[in-house]
Amino acid sequence: MAELNEIIHQPVRLQIMATLIALKEGNEVDFTYLRDLLEVTDGNLGAHLRKLEETGYIAMNKTFVDRKPRTFITATPLGRKIFQEHVAALESILKRK
Amino acid sequence: MNISPHEAEESLEAIRKITQKTRRSIASSGAYIFLIITGIIWMVGYVATQFLSGSIVVYIWVGTSILGSIIATLVGSRNDRRVRSSATPVYVKRIITFWIFLVFFCIATIAVAQPTDGKQIAMFIVLFTMIGQFAMGLPLSFSSTWWAIPIAALALIGYFFFPDFFYLWMGILVGGGMIALGFYIRFRW
Repeated sequence: MAELNEIIHQPVRLQIMATLIALKEGNEVDFTYLRDLLEVTDGNLGAHLRKLEETGYIAMNKTFVDRKPRTFITATPLGRKIFQEHVAALESILKRK
Repeated sequence: MNISPHEAEESLEAIRKITQKTRRSIASSGAYIFLIITGIIWMVGYVATQFLSGSIVVYIWVGTSILGSIIATLVGSRNDRRVRSSATPVYVKRIITFWIFLVFFCIATIAVAQPTDGKQIAMFIVLFTMIGQFAMGLPLSFSSTWWAIPIAALALIGYFFFPDFFYLWMGILVGGGMIALGFYIRFRW
């Protein structure tokens, strides 16, 4: 049976994961794009991303584009699996209502 | 970890909303640029065609089209960098090939339909452009392509029912409509 995941359940992290899962597998999104989409501050987003990276649910790719530092973020296969399990667990709670 | 059904419902709703927002954001990132720039070009070009004559009209069309293409390329490439995909180069090649063939088919259709007047040529270009936009967005989502239908319909209404004011109609309503729609998608969608 699918289980809820405490790390993903936090509202900002839930939105981060949902955004990354909405992308096609292998696609990565720019840090500033994610910040604007979720309407959060740089510091807040950075802290949640580090937490998700530590658990291996996302991967961050730091690179240079036009000589400027950029960070691209993608959901890992583990992150996708855990997120889907989390969603399944939420749905099963609703069904039991 | 235990949560109430109400909390589960709220979480699922949050996921649904952000997923929809992400898909729309990606799907519309190119659409609004195309709409605003094409709308401005058409508005300036068609209004000039209605009220001016001679080579000045040609210069206005060529000038606005070149300027629009440069701006669209610059803004489009800036937007593309926000979401990266290993498959992007393949898609870009296919999209370019598709538009080259569409331009070829449009020119061929105009050639076959000769003799044609300026209004007919304008309608062919509008219809082929809208077919292109519709086909581009359809594999992504219908929500990013639906606008091609009312734009084409508006142009057809002008062509069949208001022939005396056709260019003005195209400039103000179709061009203006595209600009308004572009801003709506950018800021309100």
